[in-house]
Amino acid sequence: MTLADLKPGQSGEIVKIQVAGALKRRLMDMGVVAGTTVRVEKVAPLGDPLEVLIKSYKLSLRKSEADKIDVEAVA
Amino acid sequence: MADKENEDSQKAASDRKASLVIAVAGNPNAGKSTLINAMAGTRLQVGNWPGVTVEKKSAEFEYSGRRITMVDLPGTYSLSPYTQEEIIARDYLVHERPDVIINVVDATNLERNLYFTLQLLELGIPLVMALNMYDEAEQKGFRINAEMIASTLGCAVIPTVATKGEGIDRLIEMAVEFADPSKRYSSASASYGEDIEKAVQTVVENVRHRGGKPSGHEALRWQALKLIEGDELVLEETGISEDEVFLEKATHHLRKAHGEDLEMLLADTRYGLAAGLTREALQKPEKRKRELTERIDAVVLNRYLGIPVFLLSMWLIFKLTFDIAGPFTDWLDAVISGPLTRWALSLMTLIAVPDWTVSLVTEGMIAGVGAVLVFLPPIFAMMFFITLLEGSGYMARAAFVMDRMMHAIGLHGKSFIPLLLGFGCNVPAVYATRTLENPRDKALTALLIPLMSCGARLPVYVVFTGVFFSAYAGTVLWSLYLLGIMLAVMMGWIFKKTLFRGEAPVFIMELPPYRLPSVKNLLIHTWEKGKHYLIKAGTFILAISIFIWFGLNLPWGVESKKDSYLGLISQAAAPVFAPLGFGTWEAASSLITGVVAKEIVVSTMGEVYAPKACEEEQSEALTVGEDLKEIGVSFAGALGEAAKNVFSTFGIATISAGEEDTTGIKAAIARNFTPLSAYAFMVFVLLYVPCLIVLIAMRHEFGTWKWAGVAIAYQSILAWTVAFIIYQGGRLIGIG
Repeated sequence: MTLADLKPGQSGEIVKIQVAGALKRRLMDMGVVAGTTVRVEKVAPLGDPLEVLIKSYKLSLRKSEADKIDVEAVA
Repeated sequence: MADKENEDSQKAASDRKASLVIAVAGNPNAGKSTLINAMAGTRLQVGNWPGVTVEKKSAEFEYSGRRITMVDLPGTYSLSPYTQEEIIARDYLVHERPDVIINVVDATNLERNLYFTLQLLELGIPLVMALNMYDEAEQKGFRINAEMIASTLGCAVIPTVATKGEGIDRLIEMAVEFADPSKRYSSASASYGEDIEKAVQTVVENVRHRGGKPSGHEALRWQALKLIEGDELVLEETGISEDEVFLEKATHHLRKAHGEDLEMLLADTRYGLAAGLTREALQKPEKRKRELTERIDAVVLNRYLGIPVFLLSMWLIFKLTFDIAGPFTDWLDAVISGPLTRWALSLMTLIAVPDWTVSLVTEGMIAGVGAVLVFLPPIFAMMFFITLLEGSGYMARAAFVMDRMMHAIGLHGKSFIPLLLGFGCNVPAVYATRTLENPRDKALTALLIPLMSCGARLPVYVVFTGVFFSAYAGTVLWSLYLLGIMLAVMMGWIFKKTLFRGEAPVFIMELPPYRLPSVKNLLIHTWEKGKHYLIKAGTFILAISIFIWFGLNLPWGVESKKDSYLGLISQAAAPVFAPLGFGTWEAASSLITGVVAKEIVVSTMGEVYAPKACEEEQSEALTVGEDLKEIGVSFAGALGEAAKNVFSTFGIATISAGEEDTTGIKAAIARNFTPLSAYAFMVFVLLYVPCLIVLIAMRHEFGTWKWAGVAIAYQSILAWTVAFIIYQGGRLIGIG
């Protein structure tokens, strides 16, 4: 399951980031690291990108990137 | 004796340095620029970092008898070497080693901000933390134990409210105190755990043993951590290769115990510390209120309302930018072309200078100054609204809403706003690309802006549609605007596949909470940008307008514009336009002078098709100073009017003398063009090279002529090709 699979209002715990290099580094710098809980807040009106709540701030990222972040659903 | 003195002064210097360098660093949206404004006030200097177009702010002032230099580092989330901003910040910190760092931290977003603080502490530079937006945190019911943060991290922590100037004095005081070598506060940065610290120790010893300490003793810990992470830049700078034996050995245990990904391990460790410290030092209220930001976003980012709200706000900004700027532009224009020119004339008559000097001063220099100044109002207005959008937090939402659409043509969500402004005037639009952080997005957006048909092209369309298409003028006008947009989509796609091949930059962006920017900060920011334009771009524009005057008036004593250098060039260039249906030197010369500003195409046509009428007008105008601005035929008059017509869209038709002019022009156009060649000509005017001011704005904004050059090249080819297809295609199917 990836972050892109979560619906607005659903939360997940990050398990693994399936990318390397600059993109991974950027995600890590923004707080996207394993063990962190992330909640999908909104989907943009045209269907992409997503708005997520992570480390108590709001981050937006495209589905193509969210799809590379493995999460485990949290009830 | 001399030696003794020297020794003494050295000792004194080490006790209390006479000059201090303070670097200000922090995350974006932490209120860093407001804090800088509050600290530096009017002493703030705005420039660029060398070699790049990232803005650099600095200030110098006296503080208790010492010279303080304050440098604002670009807002970054980390010190990784991936974005331009990060590289600038870390290069400055590592190589220039300021005496103290002021780290601006958003008190409402402690955890992620502390992640950056930990990275700064690794450098071993004394650090003073400004716990900014403290009032906002208090309003949210946050209770922050600043003492605990200070003692855990070995730094000073000062609560601040930059917008109200609270805590600023204390912040500067602490920064100066911390910078003193005599009271060297060791920032005993928090331990990263036994395994990592041991590896760091091994690497530090080995690097020291090799005699390599290029960035000073204190930075060794930072360097060691970067070497463990496998940071390419540090590996390169130190000349240590990634598979060096000691490095392998030092990290062997780490890899075995924590996995191969050491970069991730360190990020996890820093986040672990940041999260732990946040848990300890921050007390949040049990019950969380639904915040203002969430309530606004429920509307602004709503599935159905999001796009209408966005379009409405864009329409408002577009209207306001050009409506507010318009009257000021007209006023400036009137002052320059009226009284100012008249005074210059009287003065020159008084001291009896030759005619050519009069012409150079009025038509070359004063008109050049005018051309610079008339762009000031829209640039100020645009900068004001862009700053408002960014400062309030809406800019990130606009990008969020539009990203899907803009991404399809290889652009970023934020590209929409500069492109939209392009319909008013391309010049402020080019400056508006600065909201895009990524150099690739920025360049690509700037390249597409000239395809947005600006207000200056409208007078050309008005005259031509008036002659040939008066029955369905609206449709013809719309077709031109639409053509520009369609070609922008096409060129965006082509550029994505060619010049900007490779991975498109990602869209990973913070949506900051909504905040009301203070008027003072808005004005400071707007003023700085406008001033920058005036000085940097202004000199170029002035120089080029004088250069063009020479082109029109050399060789000496040239009678007709046809024989001037520009006229000769036009005659040589005319055959190029023959396959497009307008291969005359008159058309060529109007297109060439139109590069200065596109509506000059019309006035040049007036001059070359009906030179007699213009000469009469000219002599009359020179005697009646008030009518000077109505000359319209000379380059200078047109240049002055140029900017005016950009904003008062149907400007040409409203000027009384201009009306007479256009009658003459219209007759000449009717004789020299067919409906088909007229349409091809309008398309050519829409697409061919951006006006000089836009090119200079591109040079100014990007620090290189490269993108201006690319724009000239691709637009020339595009204009010629499309006009060719229209003219020759039209002839094939029997039109014209």
